[in-house]
Amino acid sequence: MNGMGWERVRMARLGGEAAVVGTRRREVADLRQVPSQTVRLGRVQPQHPSHRTIYCNDSDANFLARFKSNSISTTKYNVLTFLPKGLFEQFRRVANLYFLMISILSTTPISPVSPVTNVVPLSLVLLVSLIKEAFEDWKRLQNDNSINNTAVDVLQGQNWESMPWRKLQVGDIVRVKQDDFFPADLLFLASTNPDGVCYIETANLDGETNLKIRKALEKTWDYLAPEIADKFKGEIQCEQPNNSLYTFTGNLIIERQTLPLSPNQILLRGCSLRNTEYIVGAVIFTGHETKVMMNSMSVPSKRSTLERKLDKLILALFGGLFMMCLIGAIGSGVFINRKYYFLGLFDDVEGQFNPNNRFVVTILTMFTLITLYSTIIPISLYVSIEMIKFIQCAQFIDKDLHMYHAESNTPALARTSNLNEELGQVEYIFSDKTGTLTRNLMEFFKCSIGGEAYGTGITEIEKEQAQRSGKKLSEEARSDTTVHEKGFNFDDARLMHGAWRNEHDPEICKEFFRCLALCHTVLPEGDESPEKITYQAASPDEAALVTAAKNFGFFFYRRTPTTVMVRESHVETMGIKQDVSYEILNVLEFNSTRKRQSIVCRYPNGRLVLYCKGADTVIYERLSNASNDIRKVTREHLEQFGSAGLRTLCLAYRELTNDLYEKWNEKFIQAKSSLRDREKKLDEVAEIIEKDLILVGCTAIEDKLQDGVPACIETLARAGIKIWVLTGDKMETAINIAYACNLINNDMKQFIISSETDSIQEAEEKGDPVEIARVTKDTVKNHLKQCLEEAHGHLHGSGQKLALVIDGKCLMHALDPNLRVNLLNLSLNCSSVICCRVSPLQKAQVTSLVKKGAHRITLSIGDGANDVSMIQAAHVGVGISGLEGMQAVMASDFAIAQFRFLTDLLLVHGRWSYIRLCKVITYFFYKNLTFTLTQFWFTFQTGFSGQRFYDDWFQSLYNVIFTALPVIIVGLFDKDVSASLSKKYPELYREGIRNMFFKWRVVAVWAFFAVYQSLIFYYFTTTASQNGHNSSGMIFGLWDVSTMAFTCAVVTVNLRLLMVCNSLTRWHLLSVSGSILAWFIFIFIYSGIMTQNDRQENVYFTIYVLMSTFYFYLTLLLIPVVALLSDFFYLGIQRWFFPHNYQIVQEIHRGEYEGVGSREFLEIGNNLTPDEARSYAILQLPREKSRHTGFAFDSPGYESFFASQQGVFAPIMAWDVARRASVRSKRTSQR
Amino acid sequence: MNSSSGSAAGPSSGSGDESAPRRNSKRPKYSKFTQQELPACKPILTPKWVISVFTLVGVIFVPIGIAALMASNSVVEIVDRYDTECIPANMIADKVAYIQNDTINKICTRNLTVPKDMDQPIYVYYQLDNFYQNHRRYVKSRNDAQLKDADKANKTSGCDPEKTTKDGSPIVPCGLIAWSLFNDTYNFTLGNQNLSVNKNGISWKSDRDHKFGKDVYPKNFQNGTLRGGANLDPNKSLNEQENLIVWMRTAALPTFRKLYGKIHQDLKANDTIMVTLENNYNTYSFNGKKKLVLSTSSWLGGKNDFLGIAYVTIGGLCFFLATAFTVVYLVKPRKLGDPSYLSWNRNPLGH
Repeated sequence: MNGMGWERVRMARLGGEAAVVGTRRREVADLRQVPSQTVRLGRVQPQHPSHRTIYCNDSDANFLARFKSNSISTTKYNVLTFLPKGLFEQFRRVANLYFLMISILSTTPISPVSPVTNVVPLSLVLLVSLIKEAFEDWKRLQNDNSINNTAVDVLQGQNWESMPWRKLQVGDIVRVKQDDFFPADLLFLASTNPDGVCYIETANLDGETNLKIRKALEKTWDYLAPEIADKFKGEIQCEQPNNSLYTFTGNLIIERQTLPLSPNQILLRGCSLRNTEYIVGAVIFTGHETKVMMNSMSVPSKRSTLERKLDKLILALFGGLFMMCLIGAIGSGVFINRKYYFLGLFDDVEGQFNPNNRFVVTILTMFTLITLYSTIIPISLYVSIEMIKFIQCAQFIDKDLHMYHAESNTPALARTSNLNEELGQVEYIFSDKTGTLTRNLMEFFKCSIGGEAYGTGITEIEKEQAQRSGKKLSEEARSDTTVHEKGFNFDDARLMHGAWRNEHDPEICKEFFRCLALCHTVLPEGDESPEKITYQAASPDEAALVTAAKNFGFFFYRRTPTTVMVRESHVETMGIKQDVSYEILNVLEFNSTRKRQSIVCRYPNGRLVLYCKGADTVIYERLSNASNDIRKVTREHLEQFGSAGLRTLCLAYRELTNDLYEKWNEKFIQAKSSLRDREKKLDEVAEIIEKDLILVGCTAIEDKLQDGVPACIETLARAGIKIWVLTGDKMETAINIAYACNLINNDMKQFIISSETDSIQEAEEKGDPVEIARVTKDTVKNHLKQCLEEAHGHLHGSGQKLALVIDGKCLMHALDPNLRVNLLNLSLNCSSVICCRVSPLQKAQVTSLVKKGAHRITLSIGDGANDVSMIQAAHVGVGISGLEGMQAVMASDFAIAQFRFLTDLLLVHGRWSYIRLCKVITYFFYKNLTFTLTQFWFTFQTGFSGQRFYDDWFQSLYNVIFTALPVIIVGLFDKDVSASLSKKYPELYREGIRNMFFKWRVVAVWAFFAVYQSLIFYYFTTTASQNGHNSSGMIFGLWDVSTMAFTCAVVTVNLRLLMVCNSLTRWHLLSVSGSILAWFIFIFIYSGIMTQNDRQENVYFTIYVLMSTFYFYLTLLLIPVVALLSDFFYLGIQRWFFPHNYQIVQEIHRGEYEGVGSREFLEIGNNLTPDEARSYAILQLPREKSRHTGFAFDSPGYESFFASQQGVFAPIMAWDVARRASVRSKRTSQR
Repeated sequence: MNSSSGSAAGPSSGSGDESAPRRNSKRPKYSKFTQQELPACKPILTPKWVISVFTLVGVIFVPIGIAALMASNSVVEIVDRYDTECIPANMIADKVAYIQNDTINKICTRNLTVPKDMDQPIYVYYQLDNFYQNHRRYVKSRNDAQLKDADKANKTSGCDPEKTTKDGSPIVPCGLIAWSLFNDTYNFTLGNQNLSVNKNGISWKSDRDHKFGKDVYPKNFQNGTLRGGANLDPNKSLNEQENLIVWMRTAALPTFRKLYGKIHQDLKANDTIMVTLENNYNTYSFNGKKKLVLSTSSWLGGKNDFLGIAYVTIGGLCFFLATAFTVVYLVKPRKLGDPSYLSWNRNPLGH
């Protein structure tokens, strides 16, 4: 857990000789035998071939190296590159590129339209996109500036001088004060704290709020005051800048000594200093070369299924465009003829109209028509969708008070705006258990010591179980000894208040309690009294265990780098308290491969003991053969606890002799100081000593369900969503949690595929891995087949619901390409699936099995680092911003505070987004098709010449002005049923899963009405215009008719939008009437003026001419009504005879007032202090996803086996940084 | 540990601004917009609505349709196709040769009988068929700047192929549209009385006033080897040559009427009008028809039953639909908001 600092082992290699000095306790001689030491004459070379050498406090020497400056720029553009680069980005979109080509084409004489037709919408779209880009970049720039100009104290001569961050140079000596951020990656030299430690908060790196400790090399502890710091002339040789946050290799050469550096001496930019008055450090990496900046890579963006389907629609439109052009082009080739002498088709006519070469005419007309019909591709669609989604995220999801968790002060967060509508189509949810379904608030609940089980409590799951089996559990009256504090919910008079002394083996009880009190990496804070002390631990499990020790009378109250102080009660005699100081010699850290944690400690009386705690599997493997009897009983207890839904850990110890220990410690130190593969070597060394353990007992910790989880799961199940639980827990625990969450019930037919069958165990006992694999695979194969057959029987017969439980080992084989199909078939037929003891990689594999194998929309939800791969693999990743740090959130697309908020996220926001976007897309499709088809019909009556029907400006503004805003309003505000009804009728969600609103059938209906309406627009206006139109007998021309048709189209298309709305706010009405009004205002002005430039005055005065006739008004009334009548008829019939579910729900609740709970949402102003603003700015920096593996005691480690089979490299990072806490209470009191 | 926390307590308490009142909560602010609770009306298309909308449309449309039909019916219209008649029998085999031969006299006489009383003004139209005034090559072949402004006679862009004469001097008005100006002429006599045709005021005022310049006179017009159509009086400014103005407001469809003139005299039923026309314009090349139309006018314009029929039909259809829906509603009513209609209630398995 903690770094090498704790071991007080410091190693230095003297130049020229492998002499090791500097360890206080152990002598030089001990280490002289180390064989693998690289010894060179002169300086020790860092082992990387390329390295950088930094001369601390010597800017002249560093000048030659030309290190980068410390100013950062996260902007995408600058003033010069903005236009070219921004435009380039825009034209990477096919639609934009298409319009660019059309625009270029329309400058040629081939084009029937002037360039303005296509240039204007394109430029407007580009303008909007570029403004958005510029705005975002501007914000980034301000953010950068605020960071770059933050002041920091830099050593100048013998004084600290305040300087902006950006002026910092590599090699500078800086002073960072409490609560300030580190300006660059620093080498930690000295701290105001004794023993050269400082505390840092890495929330900006990985979101973990607990403090971590860093320790300076002892040699540099003194360089604190400016006068002394000025004398510091070290030389740092270290690796080149890289993005690995948790590794660092380098040496500090000072006074001819070479000291190895570890991550423990490195203070990374982005972290902040806590609980330390100030520290002094030397700058190693600056600006963009800092580790945090090197990590700022863009997360690959996910695209929603709807958008991918939209691409198909656009392709279909291109297909339609091509067909229309082809028809028109062939027509033109046939039509053109010299007999139409009025067309001036004389001898030297240009190619497009030359009757002598009809083929050329056809080809050229093809291009002509492409430019003419370009409006069929909805250019503003993508921009509109982007805007809609962005507002949906930033305004609706992020600010939904229903998804705000008051206790943790966390609102929901949409981290991408690409996937809103995907939330409305999720069919499979893959959920982590711990911290997601459960609270991750661990409470010490039961234990087993020396083969005796203690703890009288009954878990919720046991109650649930009892209910299922019909038994009644009488709630036992709690005895007076009950202590219930955070982390401790244990009741057994046999152990409390020293009563354990009367148990049959008090010695083993002592070992148990000491193991609890010593073997951990918890930091105490606050007063050193049992009541007031609080424990800061990396995981709540650890805190719970230490709290338990406290309650048993082994009160851990102080930790120094070398010792742990425990106030032990009742040890010698009842009622006596004594403070005992245990010397902690080594800490063998926890990581997900080891799944255990050990310490070596020396009692005051010199006794050397290794205490170990870890997952039962790993501990049992390492037990000495002696303790067989306890073993069996404890195993039974473990299973009992497991089936009660408790998390178990085994505790063991080992007596060490001095010789044995010293020998081992040499190897340990050697591993510790190796520059390469340090983690691996440490694991190997740990393996040597962690054996022949003596089992003491086991602990059982309750992990309570989160609020509202069973209800939420039930709601989601009614919504047609299938929930799979993927957990590292044991099968019994997982099944029980599943029962507690309503995922499984006794009515279901359960299929259990477990690796704990006789045949597999038999094979395991033989120990031949190949044989084990073969047997397991065969078993799994047969089992799967059998289950599948049974499942089919049940589905067709009884209609019983099915559930599948499978464990990680079996899953590994079931995911084999041969068996995959069977697994998929079986699991898709099950309404819930539980995968237990799965590794993070398997979580991701199961997710992608369903995603790719079944083509269903998947959502993964989890809170820990072990869920990251699953979150990234699913269509939608949801992170729980909970207690286990922010890794999951950083990888996720949406972050919520509680599992139960999934109901709001999916059933309300997701469903609405989906329905809205479907409406927006289909409507866009409809309006562009309608408009373009009127052109198409006109083409038939112009001799296929490609004459435009509308004025250039009509066509260019149609998409971007006259029909743009209302559809966005619908995309934002349309609501079929209210939020509460969405949750009351979760079944409504199924329409999204089945993609009811964006099927080809739906598109076809829209297309049908588009054709119908365009025919009405064209033929009604033209037919009705054939004659004299007012009492003065004058006749309309082409442009009068087209203005008429366009007016009708704008009015109809806008009114049609109102017909798709389920709810009409005033914004709907305003935008629709505004759009129609905009057209009239435009045409009044546009046709009223004459301009000097080369505009053919086609539409001059047309609107006034039109409006002077009755024809105009009669047509304007007739055409929209006729055009919309069929839609109205369709909608009426649809609703009457084939109502959608939401329509029924609307009817059930018609006339009901939608409760607005505004009173509960009273607001207070939100102001940030300058400090907070800066911290926020740093928070906005691009950050990396933490790869810390966290605590998951039970997750099995065969991921590497599987990874190598799959050819995937799954890195296992053991972050050796101790998670340390400190005066958090003080910090909060400052606020 | 404790020493460190103790030492840290000192300096941090110095920052006094921490105590400034502010909100530490990330609780989103409430607004109706962000909570998506904007007041909205939620129209539901119930059967009643459907029936009433159809009825309403019917109620409004049928009277309008009847009024429009009556207006259209009140218009008296005489249509006479003369291009096939006004051709000598010997030339019928080669109509194009006939029309292109300038030496042949193109005068032709037609007798038209007035079916009903026609009140003045009587509008004289010519109707052409299969004449693509909306062809792309044709529509753009003009230059509005040149038409409007005497100084811009040289602006002939877009006028291909009738831009300039062979020696390069610009044609005013340039372009195919002007070049192909209709040149049949009509003279009407009623008995012995000559019916004068007023050719003023046949164009839209906006065209006359703003599109065709007062001081723009035809230049080099119809000077080429190929004559397209009528010539223009070089001494009359363009804005006075209304037949050109009418012609240049290009028609939307290949079949179109254009106003030729007005007769300010009432005609009685069974009067016979003799039309003496010059059949100059070549529609024989492209098999176009030429028709002469005499028409009165109503408030709605000329004779066009389309609007009336459309209104009446739609209104009738709406009545029919309203009735049909009512019958369905009465026979097999659907209870509004019946939960048994919900798909998961209809099919408990949810498939």
